[in-house]
Amino acid sequence: MSGDLAYLGLAETAELIRAKKLSPVEYVTALLARIERYDAKYNAFIALTPERALSAARAAEADITAGRWRGPLHGMPYALKDIIDVEGLATTAHSKILKGNIARRHAVVTERLEAAGGVLLGKLSTHEFAIGGPSFDLPWPPARNPWNRDHFCGGSSSGSGAGLAAGFFPAALGTDTGGSIRNPASMCGITGMKPTYGRVSRRGVAPLAFSLDHIGPMTRTVHDNALILQVIAGHDPSDPASANEPVPDYGAMLDQGVRGLRIGVIQHFYTRDVIGNPEQVEALDAAVKIFGGAGAETSEITLPALQDFSACGQIILAAEAYAVHEQWLKERPQDYGARARERLLAGAALRAVDYLQAVRWRLQLRDRVAAAFADIDLALTASSMDPACRIDDDEALATNYWRQARMPFNVTGQPAWSFRPASPRAACRSPCSSSAIPLAKRCSTASRNSMRTRPVGRSAILRSFQTKVG
Amino acid sequence: MTQELRDKACALGLDRLTEEHLAQLERAMTSMERHLKRLPRDIQPAQEPAHAYRAKGGAP
Repeated sequence: MSGDLAYLGLAETAELIRAKKLSPVEYVTALLARIERYDAKYNAFIALTPERALSAARAAEADITAGRWRGPLHGMPYALKDIIDVEGLATTAHSKILKGNIARRHAVVTERLEAAGGVLLGKLSTHEFAIGGPSFDLPWPPARNPWNRDHFCGGSSSGSGAGLAAGFFPAALGTDTGGSIRNPASMCGITGMKPTYGRVSRRGVAPLAFSLDHIGPMTRTVHDNALILQVIAGHDPSDPASANEPVPDYGAMLDQGVRGLRIGVIQHFYTRDVIGNPEQVEALDAAVKIFGGAGAETSEITLPALQDFSACGQIILAAEAYAVHEQWLKERPQDYGARARERLLAGAALRAVDYLQAVRWRLQLRDRVAAAFADIDLALTASSMDPACRIDDDEALATNYWRQARMPFNVTGQPAWSFRPASPRAACRSPCSSSAIPLAKRCSTASRNSMRTRPVGRSAILRSFQTKVG
Repeated sequence: MTQELRDKACALGLDRLTEEHLAQLERAMTSMERHLKRLPRDIQPAQEPAHAYRAKGGAP
């Protein structure tokens, strides 16, 4: 398989499949071969399901040949973070605790992807229970960054980011409770989106923190991201937080450009509240200039301090996660990896009043953000404050993991993206960076990040930027 | 680990934690203290959280 085909975007591949210029069976076979050849280096997958994938690809090919093309995802390979249920397959959450935990039914997002004709390739690495990682003390090794396998690939949707950067599949799902889609997106140089809270059903997805959990698309381009969101978004009565709102045509907004768009830049997150790596700040400034040059109106906006969002979010996360894990922590503490155990124990001694005060504070923060967003269409800020550090550098991991501006939008529930740099020059120098695009007036953030390694898949990601700005 | 921490863990039902786990618990609680210090103390008494209880099926 040529590298070009491995890194072809979902939208382009869908058109080739629809026109019968590319066979889903050949495509899936080629991707499986690529995974077999390279994944031992990157550990993106926990479980590969080749027989199931080939069977689904054959069925899709038969349907398409017979003129029953279902849409852009028909015959399209995808993979799922291993906290998302697939009937008959284990959902392990990358933990010994859930080893052999076979799902009895699909998660709602799985149902929707399967109904659209998607071809599941397998289940992906995650930080343990979407909170503790990267870890070397679990039944499976941690995913590594395909740009440089000695470096951290972000998390917790680590396999999703690594697999996309490695050209293993054109789309994956991740989950995001404090930034777990956007962190690997920025570290791996792909596009990751945390939709609005309630937009995508959580039923059948292992919870981390009920009121902060989001499921969202991870792809290499913005266009592909919209195609996946189109399929997985929508009301689900079995999820008590699901929003009963109509789903717009996301693809229809992609070619509108940014002229006249009002962009608020949340500079204080990365210049005052936390001091971002200079290279990160420089590239983000460059992104702002490019948006301005393309006709957007940019201005600085001020929100509450980043540390306030972090504190509020972490208190809520710790309390809700402990509610999920309390019994296992009491009975099987030794079966967690060290990182997950320590992060989950943070909720053990929290008082009910602290949780409730944090939830009430959350409303104040939400209202202040809403007021700041009254006169803008979207906001732009940093995602990660630092380049991807080495995966074995415990000190850097302990520091860098928290130096981020992603949690604010889990606290508010606004949609947030992380994607690639604003200029070809920046992209060549640093493969992982990002900014934000609107899906609706309520849109929010995203970011930039960099890593001193050679980019792969750069053209596809730049194309995603050009899709929006051009 | 101090006996105080061990007692606290036991009171929480965490009586199977090893010395290593207790050290993790201590670090986790210290980290959480930093967040708790930022909690505002001036929230109005009548301000409820967003997920105030809703009866199923609505009011009769």
